[in-house]
Formats: sequence, C-alpha cells, structure tokens
Amino acid sequence: MAEVHVIGQILGATGFSESSLFCKWGIHTGAAWKLLSGVREGQTQVDTPQVGDMAYWSHPIDLHFATKGLQGWPRLHLQVWSQDSFGRCQLAGYGFCHVPSSPGTHQLDCPTWRPLGSWREQLARAFVGGGPQLLHGDAIYSGADRYRLHTAAGGTVHLELGLLLRHFDRYGVEC
Amino acid sequence: MSLTCQVPWPPVASRGVTLLGGAFIPSAKNLYLGRAQRKGSEGLWLGGEAQVQQETACDSRQTCEETPERQGWADAISPALSEADPHLLAFQASELGISEEGSCPGKGNGAARFPAQSRRDAAVMAEAVWSTDTGEAVYRSRDPVRNLRLRVHLQRITSSNFLHYQPAAQLGKDLIDLATFRPPPTASGHRPDEDEEEEVVIGWQEKLFSQFEVDLYQNEAACQSPLDHQYRQEILKLENSGGRKNRRIFTYTDSDRYTNLEEHCQKMTTAASEVPSFLVERMANVRRRRQDRRGMEGGILKSRIVTWEPSEEFIRNSHVINTPLQTMYIMADLGPYGKLGYKKYEHVLCTLKVDSNGVITVKPDFTGLKGPYRIETEGEKQELWKYTIDNVSSLAQPEEEEREQRVFKDLYGRHKEYLNSLVGTDFEMTVPGALRLFVNGEVVSAQGYEYDNLYVHFFVELPTSNWSSPAFQQLSGITQTCVTKSLGMDKVAYFSYPFTFEASFLHEDESADALPEWPVLYCEVLSLDFWQRYRVEGYGAVVLPATPGSHTLTVSTWRPMELGTVAELRRFFIGGSLELEDISYVRIPGTFKGERLSRFGLRTETTGSVTFRLHCLQQSRAFMESSSLRKRMRSVLDRLEGFSQQSSIHSVLEAFRRARRRMQEARERLPQGLVGPSGARSPSSLQPRPSVQEDKPSAI
Repeated sequence: MAEVHVIGQILGATGFSESSLFCKWGIHTGAAWKLLSGVREGQTQVDTPQVGDMAYWSHPIDLHFATKGLQGWPRLHLQVWSQDSFGRCQLAGYGFCHVPSSPGTHQLDCPTWRPLGSWREQLARAFVGGGPQLLHGDAIYSGADRYRLHTAAGGTVHLELGLLLRHFDRYGVEC
Repeated sequence: MSLTCQVPWPPVASRGVTLLGGAFIPSAKNLYLGRAQRKGSEGLWLGGEAQVQQETACDSRQTCEETPERQGWADAISPALSEADPHLLAFQASELGISEEGSCPGKGNGAARFPAQSRRDAAVMAEAVWSTDTGEAVYRSRDPVRNLRLRVHLQRITSSNFLHYQPAAQLGKDLIDLATFRPPPTASGHRPDEDEEEEVVIGWQEKLFSQFEVDLYQNEAACQSPLDHQYRQEILKLENSGGRKNRRIFTYTDSDRYTNLEEHCQKMTTAASEVPSFLVERMANVRRRRQDRRGMEGGILKSRIVTWEPSEEFIRNSHVINTPLQTMYIMADLGPYGKLGYKKYEHVLCTLKVDSNGVITVKPDFTGLKGPYRIETEGEKQELWKYTIDNVSSLAQPEEEEREQRVFKDLYGRHKEYLNSLVGTDFEMTVPGALRLFVNGEVVSAQGYEYDNLYVHFFVELPTSNWSSPAFQQLSGITQTCVTKSLGMDKVAYFSYPFTFEASFLHEDESADALPEWPVLYCEVLSLDFWQRYRVEGYGAVVLPATPGSHTLTVSTWRPMELGTVAELRRFFIGGSLELEDISYVRIPGTFKGERLSRFGLRTETTGSVTFRLHCLQQSRAFMESSSLRKRMRSVLDRLEGFSQQSSIHSVLEAFRRARRRMQEARERLPQGLVGPSGARSPSSLQPRPSVQEDKPSAI
C-alpha cells in the first residue's frame, strides 16, 4: 500500500462580491483509500477583508491516506458562504479541485460558481439575500449532472498544498 | 665562586623596568638569577642551579644577608604587582617568583625543587590566561536536573601566590636552616591557605548559606516568611553539627528573595536612569508567581475561543513568555579576611537556569579548557580572584543507558509495525509490459469569449494503435452553463468540472521505432442563452502531457466563419453557426490519409481559451524494475567507487537482459520437438553419424 500525506492550508479567497466569508471544505476519496489520520472536512472562521480584496483564513489541512490503487484520488471540494451582520449565511460559491498527484508544494487557485435561479430569484437575492443551493453536495465533485445547472462565476479560493508520497515507486507509479 | 660580577646586564632587568614602571630595582644578584631562569630548559636550569648551589654553599652568609634587602624589595614590588595588568603581572611575577626562589634557595633540596616549583608555578601562570568570555551556554539534557553537580573552585590571586614559597628541608649542617624562615606578612595581609582557596561541589538547588545569612537568620526577629524560619532551623542544625562546610562560596536558590530582585532590577545598560519597563514588570510578576503555581502552563480554553474581557491573570499568561524557569545563583563572598558577611562583597559566580523542557543555561559556561574566570574586587584594596566551574555530574552507567536505548528502540519499533499494519501491502498492479496512464483533471475556466452562458464539451480520443481503456470509462463530459463575470479586461466563466481518465498502453509491436502516440483532449465551447440561442464559440485540442506531474494547459480555440455579413447577423440574432462535423478535424481528421494535410479554404476566427488542470500519473512494471536495478547498481558501484562507469555498465546490462528475454521468447516459439532436454538441438539431427549407424535415420 502506498501512502499520501496532504499538508497545507486554505489561504483565503479573492474576487467575491460579498465580504465576511467563510469556507466549508471536505476531501472526498474513492473506495480504495483509507484515512489514517487527520480530519477530512472542516469549516474556517469568518473573515472580512480589511485591505484589498482577499479574505484570509489560513486554515490547516493535514491528512494521511493509505491507498490500494490509483482510482479515487482525493478531491477537495469547497463551499464559500458569506455571513452578514444579522448572522444569516448566504452561498457565495462552490469550488472544486483535485489534490495534486506530484510530490512537492502546489499553489492552487480554485475558481467557484454558484447556481443561478430565475431573474426573480436573482433580484430577490440582490435585495433580501438567499438564493438557490445545490440539493446534493456531491454535484460539486462529480460531473455527471452538471449540465443541468445554470451557474454564475464566483470568486477564487487560494490553496497551498504540500504533497508527500510514499512507496509509490515500489508499485511502479511515476508521479 | 661568585659569578655575579661577570654577568652582563641581562635584558630581564630592562623588561622589569618597562613593565613595572620603575618599581623594580635590579641588583646584581638578581640579574644573575634572572639570566639563569631565562634559559628556561631544565638541563640548563639544573646546570644553573648547580652553580647557584655552589654559590650559596659558599656564600650562604651572603645570601642570608641579602634577604632582608630582598624582602624589602619584595614589599615594594607587591603593591605594584597588584596594580599592574594581570597578564603582564603573571608573566613578570613568574620570573620574579622564580628568581625570588633562586635568590633564597637554601639547600640543595631547595635547588632540586627548582624545576618542580618553577614548573608548577609556570603551569599556574600558564593557566592564568584568563577567559574573558562570560557568555552563557545552553545545554540540553533528558535526565532529571537533580543529578546536576557543579564543582566551583575559587582562588585568590595575590602576590603571595606568585611568591609562594615552601620551607626547605635541611641538608647540610653548616647551612642555616631556612625552614624557620617564612615570608613575613605582605602588605595585603597574610592569610592562611584555606581562606584563599575554596572548592565546593554544589548540587541543583542546594542551599549553601553565606556568612551574612548565617548571621541574619540566627536572629529570630529577622525571620519573616516560613522560608526564613526554615533557613533558621537549618542554620542552627548546621551550627550544632560543626559549622558549615563552605565559607566564601554560597548559593541563592529559586525561592530566595535575591532571585526575584535580581530578575526585576537587573541593569542592562550603563544608563543611570535605567528603570525596569512595563514588560519587565510583567515578566517579573509571571516569574514570581510561577513558584506558587508551577503546574499552570498557558492552557487553551476549550470552551470559548475568544475572550472579550481578559483577566489580569490571562493577560500575564498570554502576553509574555510563561515557560516555568528555575534559577539558581552561585555566589561568592569576596570580602577581606575576617570581614566576611557583608552584602557589598557578594559577587555572582555563576547563574543557572533550568526550564521544564530540560534546557539548562549556564552563564558563564563551564571552564573546560578555557582559562579560569576572574573577578576584580573594588574598594580600597583591589584584589583579583579567579574561579573555575566544572561539571562533575556523574554520568549514567553504560548499562543503564543501553537499557534505555533498547526500551526506546522497542517502543518505536512497535509503533512502526503498528503503522505498517494499518497501511498494508496491497496495491493494484498493471499487466506486465503495459503502461497505465492515469489523469485527474478539471476544466477550470473559459475566458475571452464573445457571448455569455458558456459551457464546454470535451472528450478524450485515444490513438487507434496500442491504446485501450477500461470499458466503463467515460471519456467525455459536458460542464454546466456558466454566466461570465468580468475579470480585468476579460470575461471569464468558471467551471471547476472534475474528470478522471485512465488508459493503458500495450507495446505489442516491439520492432516499430515510432514514438507512441499519446491521447488527445478535444474541447468545444458553446453558448446557450435564455432565448435558447445556441452558438459555437470555439474548437480546440491539446495532447495530453507525456510526463507525469501537474500541468495547467490553456487551449486556445477558434471557430469557423463564413464570408459575408449574413452569417454573422444570423448568428447574432437567432443563433446557429457553422459547425464542424468531425471535431477531430481540429487536429488531424480521422479520415485523413496521405502525407500532407491541407486546410486551405477553411476560414476561422480566433476566440478565447479554455484552461484545464491535469494531474498525470503513470504506472508500469518497467518503472519498478529499472528503479530497483538502478538502486542496486548504485549500491554496488558505490562500493567499487566507479561512478563514471555507472551508465555504461547499466546500459550493457539492460542490453543483455533484453537479448536474453528475446532468446527465451524465441525458444518458446520453436516447436517442442526441436528442442532436446538440454535445450539445444541434438547434433545427430544435423550431421549424419559416421560408420556404424549410417543406415539408420537419425532420430529426430
């Protein structure tokens, strides 16, 4: 069995029209993967950009996987929400990226999108807030039913992930 | 025989003059002795002393008469000695000391002791190359700090030390017994030896009382805190049992008032107006209270993450460093003899700080190979003291250490086995001879397009030869429709659409020299808006990267155009545009046969670009072999130290392996009958047997 260490952080997000953002993240793997240590999902704190556009979270990601095969390589999915002064949470975007497969540090920019409703719903969202959300969260990291969606582009989430691979060369994997 | 008159004026006299600023009054005899001593070597010394011996034997009376003069001279010298710089002092004093000895050698024994004495003194003087480096040193130890033992040796450097003289034994009868002669008290006062030198072994937080403390705590009224009372009890007990074993060296432990005051009021600069700042006050508070509450280390409040009103205690714990630190001071009372027990003569010899992580800070460092440290006392009589600090903690027994090592090794080994068992050893392997390509990718974004509501339709095309993919594989995908937003000058649509792709490459045709073809990723960008106007925005293609790793590919796209405005107007108002029938036309059309591809007549317009992020992995048994072979080769050649031949030998071995494999395959292909048990064709089938069995057909 080979082992993968994912050690990094969710730096922050830019390009969102809302401020006071927080991020819910999770890592989804296939059946052949076993999580040895670490939490595979979490939620950052709420951050308001002070100077410039970037909301900083610096949320740590530290995972240790063992795997029997290459299928089901870990995927990172994100949901960015904004929280207003009344404590209401509104969806700002869904994002996705694969965890890289080559060892080393990677700077990842994960763009996000959010589902659009009709023009009525869009108007309501602008004034009152709220808006359509995905019924099933797994549409973020699977592509099967995506074509049914009509979305708008959101901001970008910045990640820094370091990857350590172990024993892959024993099984002839070049990565 | 007196040799004095014939001795020329030796340089040592001039040296004396320059160094001591004229306090040195050379006399003829002194000059002689200085010269003899300057020779330095023992042989000459002996020769020299033999002469001296003779001289004194004859001129003993003379020698004795000289002594008062010499003594007076010594008196004159000693204050000068104490004022001069110690380095030069030591050097000059060594000469003077030895010369002094030489002047009053007494008997043969005294002369015989010259080399020993001179050597000893020379050694004393040699080691008095003072160490001025009093910086602190940090040590780390995993053993409990209560096993720490220090030996402190304190010694006063005075003129009598230089001019240390021991009474000589009597040899001859007619010589005056100089054993009765003792150097009279010098100007600085004659002291017994014990007071000038002290050596104590001190343990961690071992309280040694100073004279001042003994005097103070014996008085019941002076005891205020329970600690004072405890000290008083101990002192009384000590007095009853015969006094304390230390005289000048004493210690302040962590619980003494001195420790806190010292930390609070320690001055760092020469500024007269230096007062402890706010931070110092806070740190001092922390340290002082640290003694009462040692268990508390900056704990994390689990229930509430943010404290809106931090308490004073919280501020102290969180705003300043809070590592519990234990301090101990080794002090020396350097007052004049008989006047011990005055606070103003206390000097710090050594500061020890130990924290809970086993970090021991010693300031100044252990003496070791450096020279001793010195203290110059101030006051009407400046004196020089030197001291050394040595670490005499007993080391752990080697058996114990070994046992400890074994326990640690067991523990870590077991933990490693547990982790390995969690991980296991399976892994899916490829078919031998196949290369498996594994791509995790995502369609990231599309930018620079004309219209809104974009979506990307992409698929992967495998080359026809040698490539295959699992049956359930989905090689194409359509992203969601995304409304663009402005990013700088461009309008960009974000998709973040994941896909994975797996294919195997089987190299069946070994003779072909052509490079293997790699799969191609085609993409098509389309827009579909609210009014259901469907437009083609662009076509593009990119070859999947052949190297494993992370790749961000930007595919530039174009769309076919028609001449004239009608098509464009239609495209704008209704939608619909020219489309490619076969998307593979973007690269090389599937129906293409021939040598030259001509696209003459196709009119296109450049549109935007699509960004893909691909993470490629390749798996093959060949990688296992070569890497292990490379590792083996490296180890063998490392031993032979043939780095330059590594690649050539490696290639030769690979070629041999390949040839052997081919031969094996060739042998397998041959019909079984041809191959005999030995694996070679039998000779009888080839050549007719001579003579006897000529008529018989050869058995094949």
